[in-house]
Amino acid sequence: MAAVVRLNFACRRGLKPLFLRSTLLARPLLVSHKCQEHPYQLTTRINALHVDSVSKAASRHWTAERALSVLLLAMGPVAYFNHGPIVDFSLAAALTLHGHWGVGQALTDYVHGDAKVKIAKTGLFLLSTITFSGLCYFNYNDIGICKAIALLWGK
Amino acid sequence: MSNAGGSLVPPDRVHAGIAGIGGQKNAKMSAAGLTSLTRCGVLVLRSPAGLAVRYAQTAAAPAAQPRIKKFQVYRWDPDTPGDKPRMQTYEVDLNACGPMVLDALIKIKNEMDSTLTFRRSCREGICGSCAMNINGGNTLACLDKIDTNLNKPTKIYPLPHMYVVKDLVPDMSNFYAQYKSIEPYLKKKDESREGKEQYLQSVEDRQKLDGLYECILCACCSTSCPSYWWNADKYLGPAVLMQAYRWMIDSRDDFTEERLSKLQDPFSLYRCHTIMNCTRTCPKGLNPGKAIAEIKKMMATYKERKTATV
Repeated sequence: MAAVVRLNFACRRGLKPLFLRSTLLARPLLVSHKCQEHPYQLTTRINALHVDSVSKAASRHWTAERALSVLLLAMGPVAYFNHGPIVDFSLAAALTLHGHWGVGQALTDYVHGDAKVKIAKTGLFLLSTITFSGLCYFNYNDIGICKAIALLWGK
Repeated sequence: MSNAGGSLVPPDRVHAGIAGIGGQKNAKMSAAGLTSLTRCGVLVLRSPAGLAVRYAQTAAAPAAQPRIKKFQVYRWDPDTPGDKPRMQTYEVDLNACGPMVLDALIKIKNEMDSTLTFRRSCREGICGSCAMNINGGNTLACLDKIDTNLNKPTKIYPLPHMYVVKDLVPDMSNFYAQYKSIEPYLKKKDESREGKEQYLQSVEDRQKLDGLYECILCACCSTSCPSYWWNADKYLGPAVLMQAYRWMIDSRDDFTEERLSKLQDPFSLYRCHTIMNCTRTCPKGLNPGKAIAEIKKMMATYKERKTATV
């Protein structure tokens, strides 16, 4: 969950130059020479901004995503052969985080505007929290994820 | 049977002469006559009397029917107040038109509608000016053969999701500004030897640039990328990223780490979701998707390499 928080933080920092966006896009066709040189500087500044503010957060996040995907692939067979609370809870955590990051990418793609991004990220965080606690509740008080899935073919 | 004779004799007589030969000689000879006839046709076509030979040639299959192909072209004129974008249909006879879509567009502009506006320059896939969306795919009009199916109209739009200046001309300033932002030129830490001698490269190092340096920046790939459609202001797009990679792996460049760290944000690079429209559409057959994947790998490891070299 710490990673989730860090992701949110990184995304928020990355979105800082959003307010520059409207200036960049709403460029009328007929502008004075002085204004015409402006967009170039803006884009360069957008990139410079990132260099100052973000160290390796973005690439570390990407690496974590890949690692988690590989881990999830490996967890399938493990969960098939070992039904137990350890596998149950790590599945709950990994699935939730995987979903959280995946949906987060979609939100970064499609949700634009500071306020909307904030709402979307909060909503996603709530959704992931509920999912995780729901899965944990199911693991703790019921038969657990592994056995529940095994019921599909067993019984 | 020398083909030089063909260019000297008037075209109509060439035809008659060869027909006569064909009637007298054996099958082998008539085949040779046919070859020579074709050659004559090509030669004479350039002269004003060429039309006569054309018809003589096609006379074997009677009735040289015009092959009318419909072209539906996106039109929008900013100078007409309140003008809305519309599709305009042009009918072109493919018998009197070159093989490529650009030939048809130039024919339309020359002979039918001089107000049709599009960019073109080299007409051979080197300059990248005539990038546009033809039948749903981004490509260079000069490299795209006209679909000879006459029942289907060819639809031509400007590059998708770009601001349109007029008709098929998109506004490329954002694209160029992004290209500028990656500093697409050799950068040295030690500039004291600048201009003194060449910076040499091993054959292997030079080979790494193959498949990257050929990019003509036509923007077909970037404008085919959904991520670039939604986030063109902050995502650099495949074309620019491939050039960024080209300079990152250049053995003569000293700023690889700096170039990589410039992409350390959720948008510049990581909006790529490996959709691979870029590689599919590239009219030069390059692979920007792979270049971006290589950048992602370098991004995950470059700190380690830096400490390893220190």
